[in-house]
Amino acid sequence: MKRPVRLEPGQKLVLTANRLLDGRTVWWGADGTWDLHIGRAALLDANDAEAALSRAVEQAQHDGVVGVYDAAVKAVTPPEPVTVREKIRAYGPTVHPEFAVETEQ
Amino acid sequence: MSLPVGHYQYDRIDRDFLQARIAEFEGQVNRRLDGTLSEDEFKPLRLMNGLYLQLHAYMLRVAIPYGILDSRQLRKLGEIARRYDRDYGHFTTRQNIQFNWIRLEDTPAILRELAEVDMHAIQTSGNCIRNVTADEYAGAAADELVDPRVHAEILRQWSTLHPEFTFLPRKFKIAISGSPNDRVAARFHDIGILARPGEDGAPVFRIFVGGGLGRTPIIGEELFDSVREEHLLATLEAIVRVYNAHGRRDNIYKARIKILVQAIGVEAYREAVEAELAQMDLERYRLTPEAVAAIRSRFAVPLLEAPSDADAVLAEQRRADPIFDRWVRSNTHVHRDPGHIIATISLKPAGGIPGDATSAQIGRLADLADAYSFGEIRITHLQNVVLGHVRKDRLRDLWLGLAEVGLAEANIGLIGDIVACPGLDYCALANARSIPIAQKLGARFADTALQAEIGALRINISGCINACGHHHAGHIGLLGVDKRGEEFFQLTVGGRAENGAAIGMILGAALPEDETVDAIARLVDCYLGRREGGETFLDTLTRLGHEPFREAAYETV
Repeated sequence: MKRPVRLEPGQKLVLTANRLLDGRTVWWGADGTWDLHIGRAALLDANDAEAALSRAVEQAQHDGVVGVYDAAVKAVTPPEPVTVREKIRAYGPTVHPEFAVETEQ
Repeated sequence: MSLPVGHYQYDRIDRDFLQARIAEFEGQVNRRLDGTLSEDEFKPLRLMNGLYLQLHAYMLRVAIPYGILDSRQLRKLGEIARRYDRDYGHFTTRQNIQFNWIRLEDTPAILRELAEVDMHAIQTSGNCIRNVTADEYAGAAADELVDPRVHAEILRQWSTLHPEFTFLPRKFKIAISGSPNDRVAARFHDIGILARPGEDGAPVFRIFVGGGLGRTPIIGEELFDSVREEHLLATLEAIVRVYNAHGRRDNIYKARIKILVQAIGVEAYREAVEAELAQMDLERYRLTPEAVAAIRSRFAVPLLEAPSDADAVLAEQRRADPIFDRWVRSNTHVHRDPGHIIATISLKPAGGIPGDATSAQIGRLADLADAYSFGEIRITHLQNVVLGHVRKDRLRDLWLGLAEVGLAEANIGLIGDIVACPGLDYCALANARSIPIAQKLGARFADTALQAEIGALRINISGCINACGHHHAGHIGLLGVDKRGEEFFQLTVGGRAENGAAIGMILGAALPEDETVDAIARLVDCYLGRREGGETFLDTLTRLGHEPFREAAYETV
């Protein structure tokens, strides 16, 4: 079982997953849809995140995503992942600038 | 249809099997998409077909049996890169190719395209006997005693869909070579096989077991010195049976054969194998000369003809062009035929991504293989490409063709020939990025004259303890670790995978990513400043011990 994410002051949680069809990294938005851009992710407190995560896991097949989990971000605009791993998932591989997620619509 | 040079020619049975397997997987994909199969149910099925889910997308790992391709197969890989990926492929440390941007729904179509050229993605994942690797100079090198490809193909046929060995405790890797100079890291494999001629001329096989890298690096131990050809399959069957019966299944980190061999000792393991052999129906597993000949007959033999002055032509071209001469010195190997030479093509451009090739480069390599090496290509476990049979008088033309697509880097075996796993830029298991540090090191030591001055020095980089970049075996090894979400690198020195296999020694505490390149530069400076005569890095390290290098790495300005 995944350990709960420990939040530092100024941090929130976001929900993330991979899309079933193409495996792309996606983020759960305030409008209830999954989006390629972390900038549109919903920022959640720890208590809200637990319920949202449960719902997202239940809805994963319907929503076409796999491997749903929560990740800590700095609560700035746009939210900034705390770990290198989540930054790379959010923005794309650092070795191919042409694949940057920010440049995709 | 003419037979391919270098690898086995499929027959109807092979092709029918692949089509049935693709149809089965397509049904599984469809059931996953409609929700009939959950992700937990689907994951082992997709892995059996080489499909991983990584950080940004699915990754498809395509098998290249014993690392050998023909030009139509390579051309197809380039087409797949262009059509289904983002225009490049990544050659791995197990002689395979990976595509990093694959869509699940495209996978059956990709597998059909691969099957058109007798390729697949089976045995590239899962707890089975993985794709067998072999010497990249097989059938070409002057120092070779036995061409291992026919036996590698026999092992491929034996291991594919082996009913007992589909659910082993853990993955299982076999490498085979027929040279006294180990170019397959035989002692870092679950089973390493070194073939040589026996007294009657038929090959015999020296077999090592229980080697491996990863979390617990161990050098394989000799199980048998001289297994006769007729007993090769029975012996391997017995070795894997013992592992299958007694290997641990309760702890993934202790499930490899190396842990079992260490736990019971190689003598007890040998006794268990001999007991298994004693109760086996050896006739069923007997590898007859006729069976070997039947497999050999499905390989084409290259017609090695060269003009009598081929050697003189090459010598004159080297004299006239020092840049070409430097490439020949680092990137070629002696062929068994005096009119031919083996060319290794570096996929390590200075500042580039080790092992990556664009679809245009892949297509060009296929064209050059057709023009200069009987349409045959080899992928090395050091993430480079080999053309095995190049006429000496045509080598410069090949080199000029390579230069047109940025593939004429003169750095094989030198510090720029860096081995690196995909790391945290792609891999779901990684803790740190391997590629950027490889790029920085490649750029730092880009000067080919400096690389030649430094001499033989291999750097291996892994982004996590699973060690896909074989960092334990690097003369200098880098292991990426995560410290509270930040990347650090642990340095090792003294590893080697060739003859005299050794595991690198950790120099000290892991360094922050932005201090690592400078630390390695100081290691190299330490070596250059203190070497004697014609010493290599490993020679100097052996003579001086680790302490001067540790002091250099951790020196603070």
